[in-house]
Parts: sequence; structure tokens; C-alpha cells
Amino acid sequence: MSPEVALNRISPELRPLLCSVVRNGRVGLDSTNCLRVTDLKTGCTSLTPGPCCDRFKLHIPYAGETLKWDIIFNARDPELPPDFIFGEDAEFLPEPSELPHLVQWDAGDPECLLQLVKELIQQYHQYQCQRLRESSRLLFEYDSLLEDPNYSRSMEIYAGHKNSWTGEFSARFLLKLPVDFSNIPVYLLKDTTLDPGEDVALLSVSFEDAEATQVFPKLYLSPSIEHALGGSSALHIPAFPSGGCLIDYVPQVCQLLTNKVQYVIQGYHKRREYIAAFLSHFGMGVVEYDAEGFTKLTLLLMWKDFCFLVHGLCKRLVSKKLAKLLNLLPSLDQLSLAKYILSQSN
Amino acid sequence: MAASISGYTFSSVCYHSANSNSDHEGFLLGEVRHEETVSISDTQISSSELLQVVEVHNHEPCAQLFSFYDYAGQVNEESLNRILKDRRKNVIGWYRFRRNTQQQMSFREQIIHKQLTQLLGVPDLVFLLFSFISTANNSTHALEYVLFRPNRRYNQRVTLSIPNLGNTSQQEYKVSSVPNTSLNYAKVIKEHGAEFFDKDGVMKDIRTIFQVYGALQDKVQSVCGEVEQSERVKEKVQEEVNKLKQQIVLRKRKTTDEERRLQEAQNPEPRLTPEENTEPPETSLLSRVAFHTPSTPERPGPSANPPAYADLLSLQNDSLLPFSSSPTSAALLPRPQAVGSPGHPSPSPLGLGLSAGPNPAPSPGTPYLGNGDGSSSDSLDRQAAGQEDDEEDDDDDSSEYENLVSEVGQLPPVSASVLLQGRPAALSPDGDASVRGSQT
Repeated sequence: MSPEVALNRISPELRPLLCSVVRNGRVGLDSTNCLRVTDLKTGCTSLTPGPCCDRFKLHIPYAGETLKWDIIFNARDPELPPDFIFGEDAEFLPEPSELPHLVQWDAGDPECLLQLVKELIQQYHQYQCQRLRESSRLLFEYDSLLEDPNYSRSMEIYAGHKNSWTGEFSARFLLKLPVDFSNIPVYLLKDTTLDPGEDVALLSVSFEDAEATQVFPKLYLSPSIEHALGGSSALHIPAFPSGGCLIDYVPQVCQLLTNKVQYVIQGYHKRREYIAAFLSHFGMGVVEYDAEGFTKLTLLLMWKDFCFLVHGLCKRLVSKKLAKLLNLLPSLDQLSLAKYILSQSN
Repeated sequence: MAASISGYTFSSVCYHSANSNSDHEGFLLGEVRHEETVSISDTQISSSELLQVVEVHNHEPCAQLFSFYDYAGQVNEESLNRILKDRRKNVIGWYRFRRNTQQQMSFREQIIHKQLTQLLGVPDLVFLLFSFISTANNSTHALEYVLFRPNRRYNQRVTLSIPNLGNTSQQEYKVSSVPNTSLNYAKVIKEHGAEFFDKDGVMKDIRTIFQVYGALQDKVQSVCGEVEQSERVKEKVQEEVNKLKQQIVLRKRKTTDEERRLQEAQNPEPRLTPEENTEPPETSLLSRVAFHTPSTPERPGPSANPPAYADLLSLQNDSLLPFSSSPTSAALLPRPQAVGSPGHPSPSPLGLGLSAGPNPAPSPGTPYLGNGDGSSSDSLDRQAAGQEDDEEDDDDDSSEYENLVSEVGQLPPVSASVLLQGRPAALSPDGDASVRGSQT
């Protein structure tokens, strides 16, 4: 259901609340998409003229899962706070005192519902962490991560249900990696059709059993970062070492990512230098060059009445050979440069 | 746990709920009973089952939402008392009505339920959830109801039974166990109850029926007394009859003896045949008495050849003709006894027939009491007992056997003719029921 349809069908008094949820609602670490609303129903009699929907299902991404919570208002009494049904998590019962936006519900504040949902997610996170107690190994992982200030604030944990047949207990950790993407050149980031949102890299580690023998890590990058780093195939994270733990593995992945980012940034700068050097040397002979990404350069050269165009393509990084060339540039004449470039480009 | 709600209470709750334009809630009033069923079976001494029965008598709807709790779900006891007033002690649960939602307790409902359990002091407080589901085009509406007992960890859902809601075409209309607690109803019943109930609260009809029953019982008792008396009289008469019969027999014996003496006096030659005839009768009488319907014709002698019918007839014709027609002599003969035998005919005729044979095997001293089945003499008692239901035209009865047994010692010299007469036709293996009238 698209947000517009939902907003049309909901009761007018509740519209502002829902608006902030579907338009701006970003909850949790994975904030690429807004919260989704489905199953819009009414609590009024069927004779009530529409729009009068006042209850719906909210889809909230959390730790790689999607929580489907029912939110129940009453169109007749829109000033009253909503009620919730937490789907399959029948045992999740947050303490109302921990939900200030419920206790002091203000129907006039459009952000109230969104804030309440955020508070509920926090409580849900606490609840899941409590459930980790069933496995000492996973609890250890959690505690060790908690101590590290880099990760303690940006962690979502989903503890799966204990499989009553096998006694297996699974859990998933979703961590936001503290990698600085701010220096990535802008041109790399803007090539996406949608609003990219925040640049974020998330590491999801699934423990399929309580003894951490089957661990599946996965890296999620926001689309712009993924593009900047060269697509989903460009980055491979190492497998989780058996017997290892998160507190060692996560910084490893972090470092890998950071290195890759640095690599990209460096490449960009190097290419810029390279092109700049050509420009300064062959200033009059430059036909065109990529002024944003510095990946292409076209020169018009002449030797003994023979005119030729040299197209230079620079993919990502400057190789050592070309770096050497840069050093030699001032002393080269046109022909030797052309010969050299021709020989190198093959 | 079982739960039941009367039909009118249920419909009242539905009415209030369906007519509200939002969610609706209220309290359920009633009582909780504990039923213990003790069942005794062959495999175990006894097993008792304890069943908790929740009965909903009435409901108290709340006028609006959040009437006794606040935004945080905190229950306000004063508001609760204001709503319930003096019915607070009858509360056994509460209910909520929500349209188009799942059949699951919501967050606030769980919080409120916990507090109500504590405040009202009902450990097994129930929660009835109504949900009204409508299809998208409003063509079909379903009212679903589930009764929860959330204070238990398992088996939280309880089936709620509504008597007489369902297909009553094949069942009787049941009287509900849920009583009607309405005040008006109680008043009317009290006013008009005197016509049907007496001062103890028992229906008058029941008393009259009991009186009829008592009268019938008295009657039966008096009839029993009369029957007993008539039985005693009958016994006496029977004894007299038996005595008379004995006298008749004695007299007959006397007359036969006299006749024999006369004959002997007239015919000095010894007559073997009559002696032969007389001797075996002793044994044959014994064997006859002991007849008990042998399955196969047990011959008293190893050389048993069943005498031909003609022989029997000739024997009969030879002697004691005047007795052949007397019905009383027939009364001496034991009746065919099928009771106690594996469906086999009476042995009496065989005994009779055999008695005419040349070598009656059993000596007079040894009464042949076997009946061929291998069963022993207790068959005598069996027969004696079983004789009672035999319909006889003549006035024979079971006591006749005992008489005959006692007569064994008394009547050894009875003539063959006496024994033989009236029995030849009974030689057939099936026994001739027509002779004696019955073969039970």
C-alpha cells in the first residue's frame, strides 16, 4: 500500500500521525526505507461514512527481520492513545513507565506516534537482549560488544525462538559499522535514482546455533556506498573464523571497509593529479577530459603533419607505471609520450 | 476448565458491542464452580477429575473507553468501584470488543488484566475477546469470540459454551445450568410460585407422585402377605394330596399282593416271566428314577438291546390292564426332564424300555444315577428345581421327584406293568413331549 493510499483512507483526525510515520518514519539502524503500513481497517460500524480507518499493521525493519505490529486507534476518540498487538512476540510486554510518549500522549503532536514507536523498538531491543540469556555464548558476544563504545549504541539484536525439536537457538546481530564515508567524493555518490538517505554500512551476523559453529556474516551497504565502492561484487568480507568472536571479527571487517574507502578516495585523488599533470603539460592539446571523475582524457597530438587523438582511460586507480610517467612528464616530448602511451595501453 | 454463558447474556453483550461505534468493554459477572467427578472403572479404584466451571450470569458494560484506567494502563480503583458498585464480588472476568483485529490480547489489555486480577482478587480472571470481522465489500460479517484465561501459562483459550445455540433440531432443548439472576424474574417466580411449590420449595406434583408411589408400595406389601398365606395353604393342601397318594399306592400294592397271592394260590407253577418282569422293575425303577435325561440311551446292561415296541406293548398288555388307563399312574412316572440336560430327551422311557430287557445291569443296591453326560447325582436336584416351570396339565409338580426318590426304597416290587404303561412311546430319541406335555 503506498503511503498516499494509506493517508487517504485513514480517518482525518489521525492523518497527521500517520503522515509522519509513512513520510519521515525511519526507525532503527536500517533507515533506507520508511516504515510501511498495510491492512488498514476500521473500528467503526460499516454504516459509518469513510474515510474512517483507524487501525493498521506497521512493518518495522529490525535486525534483519520485519516486525509486524498492529496499531489500534479509535476514530471516534482520536485523542486517545493507541493499543498495540506485537504480532508473534506474544511475550513482549514493555513497561508503560518506559514509554513516556504513551504516558503523556499528545494527539496534537504529529510526531507522537513515531516517537512512541521508537521507544517501543528500544524496549523490544532490551527484551531481545534479555532473551539472549538462554545461550551463554551469545550472551558473551553481546556483553563484549556492549563494552566497546563503538558498537554499543548502534546494535540491534534479534534472538530467534528456541527450536523446541532440536533445542537450537539462533540469533542475529545487526551492527552499524563506524566507518567514515564523508570523504568519498561526491560524484560517486550522486549516481543513484532515489534519495540515498544516510550512508551506512551494516554488518549482519547470524548465529544459527547457540554454540556459534554456524555463523553467517553479511554486509549491507546503502546504495550510494555500494556504487562508490564498485558494486556488490567489489567487496568481499572474510568468513567468520570458527571459534572466533564478534569483538575480534567486527573490527576486522571495519578495517577492511575503511581500507576500501581509503583506496577509493586515494584513487580519486591520484587520478585528479594525473589528469592535472597532463593538462598542465599538454594544455593546448587537450580536447576533453572528465572533470568530475577524472577517468577520461583525450589529447590531440601532432607529429610531422600527422595528427592523432589519444584517448586515455583511467579506470580507478593509477598504476605504478603511470605514476612513474608522471614523474617523467616534464622531460618528454610529444612523440615519445604518444609512443609510450600507445605501448602502455595495450 | 469449562465455561458457559446463557444465551440472553451473550446476546445482550453482542447487542451492546455491535451498536457501539468504537471498541467496547465491560465486566462479566457470574460465579465459578468446582465440579469433581469420581469415576470408578475396572482398571483402577477410582479417579477423580476436578473441573472448574465458569458461569457468566450477567455483564456490566462500560459507557466509554478508558473509564477505569489511564493512558499508561494504570487501573484506578475508585473508578472501578464506581462502575461496579456492589457487584464487585461477582466479577469473574471482563470482555472487550474490537472490530477487524486479531484474536490476541493486546498490550494494554494484558497490563489491565494483571492489575484487575490483583485488585479484584480473582486468581483465574477470564477475558472474553470479541472481534468482528467484515469482508471488504461488507457482505459477510463474522462475530468471533474467544475466552482467555491469561493467568495460566498453557491452555489459555477456553471454549465457551452457549446452551441451545446451535442445531437443536436433532437435540432436545436443554435447560441451561446458568441461572437467571434477574431481580424481576425472581419476584414473579416468588409471587406465583405458591401454586406450584409447597412450603419446602418442592414442586407439588412431585409430592403427589410420591404419595401415589407410597400407596402402590403398601398395596404390593399387603398382596405379598396374601400371597404368602395362600402359598402356605397350598403347601398344606399339597401335603395332604401327597399323603393321599401314598395311601393310594399302598392300597394298590396291597391289592396287587393279594391278587398275586390269589393267583399263586390258583397257579402253583412258577412263572418266570412275571418274575423276570418283576425283578428288573426294581432296578428299572432305580434306573428310571435316575434317568436324568441321558444323552445317549444308557443301557443299564452291557448287552443292551432296546426292546422292540411290540415287546413293550405285549408286556403292557400282559399285566395290569386296569391301570393302563388310570391317569394317576401316569402321575407316578417322572416327567421328561430337559432342564439340566444338554438338550436331550428324558431318559425315563428308556429306563422303562430297558427294564424289559433280559439283563438289567445295575443291581438293585446301586442306584443308577448317572445321566450319561458324566454329571453326577446333583442332576437330581437340578431337575427338582427345574421342574417348577414345567406346565403340566395334571397336578404333578416338582415335589413329585422327591417323592419318587423316597419311593424307591418303598416300591421295589412294583410291577413292570405299572412302570411300563404310558411310556412306550417315549422310546424315540427326541423324547415324546406329547406324552408328558412338555419338554423344557
